[in-house]
Amino acid sequence: MSRDATKNAETKTEQGRSPEALKFFFTPVDAPRPVDDRNKNPHAKSTTWVPDVVDALRARFGEDVLGVEEYANEHSVTVRKDRIVEVCRFLKEEQGFTYLADLGGADRFTDEDRFEVIYNLVNIYGGKRIRIKVRVDEDDLVVPPITSVYRAANWHEREAIDMFGIRFEGNPDPRRIYMPEDFEYYPLRKEFPLLGIPGSLPLPAQYPEGPLVLDPFPAAHGSKPVKSYQEPAPEDEDASAH
Amino acid sequence: MGLETVFKEGFMTTKVDAVVNWARSNSLMPMPMGLSCCAIEMMAFAGPKYDVARFGSEAMRFSPRQADLMIVAGWVTYKMAHAIRRVWDQMADPKWCIAMGVCASSGGPHRCYGVVQGVDNFLPVDVYVPGCPPRPEAVLHALMDIQENIRNNYSLVNDYEFGEPVKSVAAPESSRIVAPYNV
Repeated sequence: MSRDATKNAETKTEQGRSPEALKFFFTPVDAPRPVDDRNKNPHAKSTTWVPDVVDALRARFGEDVLGVEEYANEHSVTVRKDRIVEVCRFLKEEQGFTYLADLGGADRFTDEDRFEVIYNLVNIYGGKRIRIKVRVDEDDLVVPPITSVYRAANWHEREAIDMFGIRFEGNPDPRRIYMPEDFEYYPLRKEFPLLGIPGSLPLPAQYPEGPLVLDPFPAAHGSKPVKSYQEPAPEDEDASAH
Repeated sequence: MGLETVFKEGFMTTKVDAVVNWARSNSLMPMPMGLSCCAIEMMAFAGPKYDVARFGSEAMRFSPRQADLMIVAGWVTYKMAHAIRRVWDQMADPKWCIAMGVCASSGGPHRCYGVVQGVDNFLPVDVYVPGCPPRPEAVLHALMDIQENIRNNYSLVNDYEFGEPVKSVAAPESSRIVAPYNV
């Protein structure tokens, strides 16, 4: 090793240098920045700054636009849940947001309005992006599907159905998409444990024509699948010398 | 002399063993169960630079009936585990298994509800190869380990005397399942 025994044998104080002062870097909490900082912030993208679309939405839907958040040069519009189809149709046909980039659920884990469905829409030719959010309460998990407006929403809504239990009534294919059909839980809810519920996903058998194993960690609990023939135990002496 | 003494190695048995094991180990036909990123390294392991053909294993057979070595390359989800077990059961004896990469060995970085934490929960694995992905040379090393295992530990006696058919394995005691949470 190239460690120098003489150089590193003494601590820094013995060597005459002061130990480095520990520096704590706290994540600074900024005051909210002025919203339109396209001229000052070189990272602000002009595609996400769409006040005209927000104004058009407000003008058309009035009371159904529950709120607008402007953060990091982006607009997120929260809309009433039952008007989402008309909002999306308006945005697609009149504002040109023909591309549904993403549709997903989120679990806010609050008492009321527990879930949220987020729609990311893009106007390709106009170069604009907008985010529409819909709050869903745990007691009323039904959201109108937007598959009639965007065909791509089909599988994204299936993911929200599978992962959160949010029901999209009217979706042409309301099956689970990732988990098996008879899975009883909703994995992306906050109370679902990371490693799952033991016994909810059976493992295949440990030997041919055996029962399915409900334990998710049989190897850790000492069960070892064996081959159908029995291998001789490895011999201790040199096995090749016969 | 020969095969009539069941677990006693006669002269003929061991000589025939040596030849047959030499032949088997030098012509392993892998069944590449390439599930994700490790499959790329498995392709590299079969490619010209880290040539596996020089070990006799270039014939990657995707049919389990024609293969004798299953290389599980990539993470296994609970849904896919049933398919993999079926494929394993369809392979003819003698067969060996390499768990390639950390995902097949222990679940790897995917410590979550959908990924089986190690293929040895339902397959009898012979060699584990760590790495994410393992270098093709590491997989070659694993193949050589399997070859050594065949030459030293496998005997023709197994082909004729299976012992008791495996009807029950020590059932994992955790068939007591923790009560599911209230969802």
